[in-house]
Amino acid sequence: MADTKAGVSTSGLTESEAKEFHSIFVTSAAVFFIVVIIAHVLAYNWRPFWPGPHGWVAAMIDQITPFLA
Amino acid sequence: MFRIWLLFDPRRALVALFVFLTVLALLIHFICLSTVRFNWLEGNPALRAHAALVAPLSA
Repeated sequence: MADTKAGVSTSGLTESEAKEFHSIFVTSAAVFFIVVIIAHVLAYNWRPFWPGPHGWVAAMIDQITPFLA
Repeated sequence: MFRIWLLFDPRRALVALFVFLTVLALLIHFICLSTVRFNWLEGNPALRAHAALVAPLSA
């Protein structure tokens, strides 16, 4: 990247600009993934994505057993 | 790793990333809505099935 010191690169950014943008990008991506992970944990608690050993039907029956008692 | 932004224009990369993530999110949400188990607007299918079974018996 010898030519980047003169401020010329394929994207037009200098190294310092690329570093600055990269730090913002990494922070934003981290925040986004934290939100995504929280959303998936909540969604899995609501209804698990993976069925148990007896399938989803058994899991759905488990949801109504309190009402049968 | 920051040198990737010397290669790719950040403005175009961000637009492409936002478009990709939006399309992916819409796709996954509509797939979930199309299923019985993960349709959050139609309520609890197991509970509804139970109510449909029990209601005629109790009437």
